[in-house]
Amino acid sequence: MCPMIEFTNFRHNPGIDPAMHIWGWEIPVYLFLGGLVAGLMILAGFRLLIMRPNERQAMVCCTVGPLLGLALLSVGMLTLFLDLEHKLYVWRLYLTFEPTSPMSWGSWILLLVYPALLANALAHLPEALPVVARRLPVLVTISDYMLARPRIVISTGLANIGIGVALGIYTGILLGALGARPLWSSAVLGPLFLFSGLSTAAALLHGILVLTTPDAERPEFADFLLSMLSRWSQARPLDTRIAPTLAQADNSFLTIELALLGLLLIGHLSSTAVHQQAAWLLLTGPYAAVFWVGVIGLGILIPLSLQHLELQHRIRHTIAPAILVLTGGLVLRFVLVAAGQASHWAPMLD
Amino acid sequence: MSSPTDTPPREQPHMNPYWAGFGLGLVLLASFVIMGRGLGASGAFTTAVATTVHAVAPAHAEGNSFYAEYLGDGTASPLKDWLVFEVLGVFVGGFLSGALANRLKFTIEKGPRITNPRRLVLAAIGGALMGVGAKLALGCTSGQALTGGALLNVGSWAFMMCVFGGAYGLAWFLRRAWL
Amino acid sequence: MNAPFFKYGLFGDEMSLVVAFGIGIAFGFFLERAGFGNARKLAAQFYFRDLRVLKVMFTAIITAMVGSFLLARFGFLDLSLVYLTPTFLGPQIVGGLILGVGFIIGGYCPGTSCVSAATGRIDGMVYLAGMIGGLLGFAEVYPRIEHLVKLTPLGQVTLAEQFNLPYGLLVFAVVLMAFGAFVAAEWAEGRIGGKAPDADSLLTPARKFGPARKFAAVLIALGLVAAFSGSPYRTALAQVDTRQLALEAGTKADHVMPAELADWIIEGRNDYLLVDVREPAEFAAYHIPGAINVPLAELKQDFARRNERIVFYSDGGIHAAQAWFLIRALGFPSVYMLFGGLEEWHDTVLNPAAPPADAPAKDQVDFARRVAVAGYFGGSPRRAEGPALAAPAPAAALPKLAPPPPAAPPVTKPATPAKKKKKEGC
Repeated sequence: MCPMIEFTNFRHNPGIDPAMHIWGWEIPVYLFLGGLVAGLMILAGFRLLIMRPNERQAMVCCTVGPLLGLALLSVGMLTLFLDLEHKLYVWRLYLTFEPTSPMSWGSWILLLVYPALLANALAHLPEALPVVARRLPVLVTISDYMLARPRIVISTGLANIGIGVALGIYTGILLGALGARPLWSSAVLGPLFLFSGLSTAAALLHGILVLTTPDAERPEFADFLLSMLSRWSQARPLDTRIAPTLAQADNSFLTIELALLGLLLIGHLSSTAVHQQAAWLLLTGPYAAVFWVGVIGLGILIPLSLQHLELQHRIRHTIAPAILVLTGGLVLRFVLVAAGQASHWAPMLD
Repeated sequence: MSSPTDTPPREQPHMNPYWAGFGLGLVLLASFVIMGRGLGASGAFTTAVATTVHAVAPAHAEGNSFYAEYLGDGTASPLKDWLVFEVLGVFVGGFLSGALANRLKFTIEKGPRITNPRRLVLAAIGGALMGVGAKLALGCTSGQALTGGALLNVGSWAFMMCVFGGAYGLAWFLRRAWL
Repeated sequence: MNAPFFKYGLFGDEMSLVVAFGIGIAFGFFLERAGFGNARKLAAQFYFRDLRVLKVMFTAIITAMVGSFLLARFGFLDLSLVYLTPTFLGPQIVGGLILGVGFIIGGYCPGTSCVSAATGRIDGMVYLAGMIGGLLGFAEVYPRIEHLVKLTPLGQVTLAEQFNLPYGLLVFAVVLMAFGAFVAAEWAEGRIGGKAPDADSLLTPARKFGPARKFAAVLIALGLVAAFSGSPYRTALAQVDTRQLALEAGTKADHVMPAELADWIIEGRNDYLLVDVREPAEFAAYHIPGAINVPLAELKQDFARRNERIVFYSDGGIHAAQAWFLIRALGFPSVYMLFGGLEEWHDTVLNPAAPPADAPAKDQVDFARRVAVAGYFGGSPRRAEGPALAAPAPAAALPKLAPPPPAAPPVTKPATPAKKKKKEGC
C-alpha cells in the first residue's frame, strides 16, 4: 500500500534500539555557537581590514561582535565540556597534536580563537566603551599601540578571517568525521556550517543595530533599558550606516547556505541507497516538518524576503529577520545532528 | 544610502472587507481540499500549554484528563501538531502583511477614554474568558464559526449566534473602552 | 484526483505539518489585511461603526461553503471526509456566550490576537498571555466538569441533516441571508454609526455595477445552481464503480505487508483501524495488538467512520479479502488488508527465519532488525532452515502467543478515539 506511508525508520525507535541517541542538546548548541563565533570573527576581521583611517567608527563589527564572540564561545565550550564523558581528562587534548584528527584540530583552533578575538576587540575598545577605558588606562595604551602599527592591524584582521574560516569549517567536519552516519558523510557539511555561521553572525549584528537605533516604534520599556545601558557604559551610538550592508551580506550568506543545503541533499540523493534514505529522513521522513518549516521556511526563505524588502525600502528594518535567522541556524544544527544519528548504514526493508 | 531610521511611507488603509473575506474563504476552501479539515487557533495554544505543563510537572499533566488529550501517546512531540504549525504560520503571515502595509507598530489599541493599564487588564480578562469559552465550545471563532459555518455545522451556527449575542449584549457597558 | 488530498494519502503526517504552515501564512495574511489585527476595528462591529467582522466572516463562510459544495457536487471533493466538529449544543451555547463576552472585553479572538501580537500590538500580547492563563485554569477544573462539557451531544451533524432540508437549498439560503446582512450592515453603518459608505459598497447610490456587486451576483448565481443540484455527498452507488474495484483488487495498492504493520504498531501510529474479522473465540486466543474484533457477518455500513483508514486481517487472506470488497462497495474510501493474513504475520514478524550463514551481510543485518521486532511482539526467530533445529516448532507455537509484554511502549487503542482525530477541530 504505497500511497499513504511515510518513511518508516525502524532503528530510530527507543523500543528497539534504546541506545541510539548519544548526543543531546549540548552538541547542536555548541556547533551553533561555534559557527556564530566563526562568522563574527570573519566579519570583524574583514571590517578591520577594509576600514579607512578616517572612519574610526567600527564598533558594531569590531567591538560588539568580538566581545559577544568571546562570551558566546565560552558558553559553547561549556556545553562541549558538559558533553564530555571524562571531564577531568580534557587537558590531555592539549598534550598532543594529531594531524589526521579533526578533534585535535578543533581543540587547537579553539585555543587560537580567544587571542584573535581579543586582539580584534581591543583595537577599538576605548572608543566604544570610554567608561571601561577610563578605569583601565592600559586598554588605551594597547589600542594606541595597535592602531599606530598598520602591520599589527592587518595581521589581526587576517588572523581573524583565517581562524574564523577554519573554525566554521571545523564545526561541519566534526560531524563528517563520524563516518558511521551516512547523512554526515559529505564534504558539503563544512562550507554549509561556515555559511550558516556567517549568516547568523551578520543577522545578529544587524539585529543589534536595529535594536539600538533611535526609533519611535519601540516599546517604552525597551527604550528605557537601552538608555540605561548606554548611560552606564557611556557607549557611543553604533554606526547605523552599515545596517544595509549587513542585511545585504546576510542575504548573500543565506542564499549560499540554501544552495549548499540543496547540494548536500542532491549529493545524497544521487548516492547509494543508505545516503538516499538519510536524505529522505529530512525531505519527507520524521524530520521533514521541522526541516522544511524551521530551517528552510522560517530560517532562510522568510528572513531572505524580509531583508530583501528592507533593502528595497518597501518595509522598515526590524529585528524579525535577526531572530528568525538565529533560530533557523540553531534548528539546522539540531535537525542535522538528530537526523544524522537516526541515519544508519543498515539498509532498511524493501 | 539608507539607515534603519529611514521613515517608511504611511500606514496603508485596510483591504475592502469583501475581498479580504473572499481571500479568507479561499484559504479555508484550500484547507478543506488539501487537508480535509478547517482552520483553527485556540487548539495550538492548548497544545503548547499542555506540553509546558507536562515538561514542568509530568505526573500532574498525565493525571489530568484535559492535558492527556493533547499530549498524545508519547511517540512524537505533542508540538508536532497541525494546529501548532498552522498558528506559527499565522504569526508569520500576519507579520508579513503588517510589514508590507507599514502597520507594524508597538502600540496599544484602545478607545481614547481608557488608560493603558486598564485596557491591558481588560485584554487579559478577555483572553482568559476566551480560553475558557473556546474549550467549552470545542473551538474558537476560526475553528467553529468560520470552519463550521462553511460546513453548515449545527453546533457552529448556534455558537456563532451566541458569540454575537454575548458581545452585543455587553457592548453598551464597555463603550468607554472602545469609543 | 480525489480530494481531500491528505485523507486520500497523497502525503503523510510530516508533510501535512508543512502544509499547515503554508495555510497558516495565508490565513494570517488575510486576517491582517482585513484589519483584524486591530482591536478597535474589531470592536467597532459592536457599536455599528464599522461592520467589518460581519462582512469578512460571512464572505469567507459563503465563499468556502459554495466552493466546497460545488467541488463536492462535481465529484472532486468527498465532503464526508472533511472533518466536522461534533455538536454539543449546551456547552457550545454557553461557550459561545462566554467567548462573545471575552471578545468585547478583550477586543480579540484567539486567531486575531496572534496577528495583532505579530504586528506589535501590546494589548494583543497581553491578551494571549491572558488566554494561556484561562486555559491553565480551565484545565485544573476540567476533570470535575468533564460530564457537563459532554452534555447534549448531537454528534457530527449538519444543519441540512438536523432540519431535514436539502443541503444545496440551505447553501442558497445562507448566501441570500449573508447578502441581506451585508446590505443591512451598510445601511446600519451609515444610519447608526455615521460612517460614510466605502468606495466599493453594495449600497452606493450609483447605478454602477461595481466589483462588489458583480461578486455578489456571481455568488448568488452559484448559490442558485447549488439549490437545484442535489446532494453533495457521494452515494454508495456513485462512489463504487465495480470495474474500478476489480482493477484495484488486482494491484498491490490494497495490501499492507506484515512488517509494515509491525512498524506502525511499534511507532504508535494511531491513524488507522485494525480489524480482525475472525470469530470472537479465535480473536480471544490470539490477535494482533491493537486490533478490534468485528466478525465478517457483523460488518455493516456504520461499523466505523467513513474517513477512517481500515486494515482487515483474517487467518489466511480470503475472509479479509471478502471484507475488503464488502466495505469498499459500501463506499469506504481507504480500506486495506494484511497481506497473507495471520499466517504471514507469524512467519515474517513473529518468527522470522534466519538467513543461511553464507547470505550477504545485508540480509544478516536485516535479520537482526527483524529479531528485535519479533521480540517486541513476544515472538522468537526460527534458528535456521534445517529441520534438525526446529525445536520451537513454529506451527505449534503460533496460536498461544501472548500479547506484547507489559513493559512495551504504548500500543494503539482504536477503541478509544485517537488523539489526533479528537483534536482535528479547533
